[in-house]
Amino acid sequence: MEDLHGQLEQVFRDVFNNDAFTLKDEMTSRDVPGWDSIAHMNLMFTIESRFGIQFVGNELADFKDIGELKRYLARTVE
Amino acid sequence: MKQSLSNEASEAIERGDRLKTAGELDEAICAYLVAAAHVYPVPASLCLSLARAYIRTNNVAEAIRWASAVVDAGDDFSSWLSAASLIENATNWKTEKPRRRSRVAIAGSFTTLQLRAILPLAGFRHGIEFEVWETPYGQYRQELLNPQSALYQSRPDFIILAVHEGELALPFLSNDSETEVTQELDRWTNLWEAVARHSKARVIQFNFALPAEAPLGHLALRLPGSRYAMTQAVNTALGMAAQTRVDIIDCERLSALVGKERWCDPRYWHLSKQAVALSALPLLARHITAVIAANLGLSRKVLVLDLDNTLWGGVIGEDGVNGIKLGGDQAGEAFVAFHEYILHLKDKGVILAICSKNNEADAKEPFERHRETRLKLDDFAVFVANWEPKADNLVRIAETLGVGLDAIVFVDDNPVECAAIRRALPQVDVIALPSDPAYYTRTLSQYLMFEMATFTDEDAHRTEQYRARTLARRLEKSVSSLDELWESLEMTATIEPFNEFNLPRVAQLIGKTNQFNLTTRRHGQAQIEAFVQNPDCIHFSLRLRDRFADHGLVALMIVLQQDSVFEIDTWLMSCRVIGRTVEDAMLAHLCAHAAQRGATTIRGLYIPTAKNQLVKDVYSKFGFSIAKEVAGEQIWHYDFAARGSIENRFIKIADQGEINGRPSRAVRAGV
Repeated sequence: MEDLHGQLEQVFRDVFNNDAFTLKDEMTSRDVPGWDSIAHMNLMFTIESRFGIQFVGNELADFKDIGELKRYLARTVE
Repeated sequence: MKQSLSNEASEAIERGDRLKTAGELDEAICAYLVAAAHVYPVPASLCLSLARAYIRTNNVAEAIRWASAVVDAGDDFSSWLSAASLIENATNWKTEKPRRRSRVAIAGSFTTLQLRAILPLAGFRHGIEFEVWETPYGQYRQELLNPQSALYQSRPDFIILAVHEGELALPFLSNDSETEVTQELDRWTNLWEAVARHSKARVIQFNFALPAEAPLGHLALRLPGSRYAMTQAVNTALGMAAQTRVDIIDCERLSALVGKERWCDPRYWHLSKQAVALSALPLLARHITAVIAANLGLSRKVLVLDLDNTLWGGVIGEDGVNGIKLGGDQAGEAFVAFHEYILHLKDKGVILAICSKNNEADAKEPFERHRETRLKLDDFAVFVANWEPKADNLVRIAETLGVGLDAIVFVDDNPVECAAIRRALPQVDVIALPSDPAYYTRTLSQYLMFEMATFTDEDAHRTEQYRARTLARRLEKSVSSLDELWESLEMTATIEPFNEFNLPRVAQLIGKTNQFNLTTRRHGQAQIEAFVQNPDCIHFSLRLRDRFADHGLVALMIVLQQDSVFEIDTWLMSCRVIGRTVEDAMLAHLCAHAAQRGATTIRGLYIPTAKNQLVKDVYSKFGFSIAKEVAGEQIWHYDFAARGSIENRFIKIADQGEINGRPSRAVRAGV
């Protein structure tokens, strides 16, 4: 889970071009400047390609917060 | 592109990451640079680490250089997007000097935000600064049809009709496929015509990628009325209708190239109307950039090839002409296929040259004697085989051909030679061949900057013309004076007004001529046609032939008459005939017009650019006097009434065309 947090944080750093970005479990899209629908698409795409997974159906659009996304990834990533 | 990093490189990257976390940015950059020196192409993640570290140390120029290096690292969309937004956010990036600026409007039928975001990165890699604008989602038709639309107010140079298969109004099955296809074609050509009416922009139209899902299966092709067959017919018809006036992006080919199931990801289509998958966008952006670059005259012109293990297997100096691999078996056939692909490039107008470390006689022998060689000696405009550094030889090849280093692409199997050229001559594009010759042809075909906007007779005979230039250069050494040289060339020119036959070449020259170009005004097709319609405009092109070659249409002039004054709006000449007194012949011809039309003064304008220093003094050489100089721009006057005609001594005029509507052969060549 620690490693997953680091990997996910790196994705956010890359997508938002911010080396100093710190990811927190309770974060939602409202907490991150620039996280609009297009950034969301880019984020999901980058997560899919870095973690080698495919979101199914509405998973692509809806996550309550980072904690839920992390739990999903922990379940899905082999 | 998966690469295995050497231990040194991986260790340096880890060291860099640790230093960066500790806030030691300069040291982190040093470590990253060590890693980058160990691998080519530099992986995107490393390019981005460098770019971000440079941003934080306020070195914007290096940050941008490394961000745009992401393009060479492969087509990973996430990396492209990071690099693109990094460049966009770098504050003073506009101080960089681009080769060209261009305004692009994307008129799309699907979500084009991401394409818009990454297109500038692809442009940046080739020195083009794109200013990209896009129509609101689903509005492209309205925007194109409304002359007052925001799209036209953005004054685009290019309008990209980024449309997808779902936009076709074709039924699943039809009884009257011909009518359906014609109507569909009209829907698109009507939009092209609207653009031509409302703007000077050039249209770049996507054709239609057939979807992966095929309900009719193989039957579809046998039913002319199937949507599948009709879509193919529309694609063909679009290409034929486009001819020289519109560019086509062949999305049908690109989608097949990446695989149709990868080209469109239905999840992203349903969620946010991405008709082209994000993973395919970098490839698409590179192709769009290549097509725009071709229109801007920024395509590469010359392919310089190594010999040993590039055009044949083995080393000619050691293995001899009977020992090298060329044809015969699997390994040898790969080289024959490579020859054939290179010949196709030559056929479309790419100039070929050789740059090899060899004895010249050895190097030439396979082209003269090997039974399987497809390339022959006279396919090459320049042949350099010696033991000097290749960088020096490339500079010499560029000089001999009269082209810039930024027109050259260098191909070599030896990574050391490739790295040396990248370091010494960053303007040259370098293609490093893969280790298996079977993939040589594919690697070369993945290089996009040989794209061409139009195809003219001149393109088809280009190597012949440049070979002639090389021969003429040799001849120069054997005649004692320039007068003798010019006499010995036995030059003949054909001068004629712009017409439907020469217009594509005229537009091409206006778009790309840099050196002998007095005003560098890049008139678009519509503006050129307006000149042709204008009765107060004198316009003519010149074709030159000499004892070595037909150089084709190589020079032109556009002059506007206001009462008794002729004003030279555009005067340019292809670099391959500079130094041949063509300018004398053109001014002499212009004087004949002046006499016919009662002009007394010829006004010439010189607008300096980074590349046209060459023509700074051309007016003074012919007895023009300077009338005004503002910020480097000079206005020159020639008092035709007092000084009379300008003399043309060395070029025989085959046909003067018509002067003021009357056929005239009154102006003689020579004296």
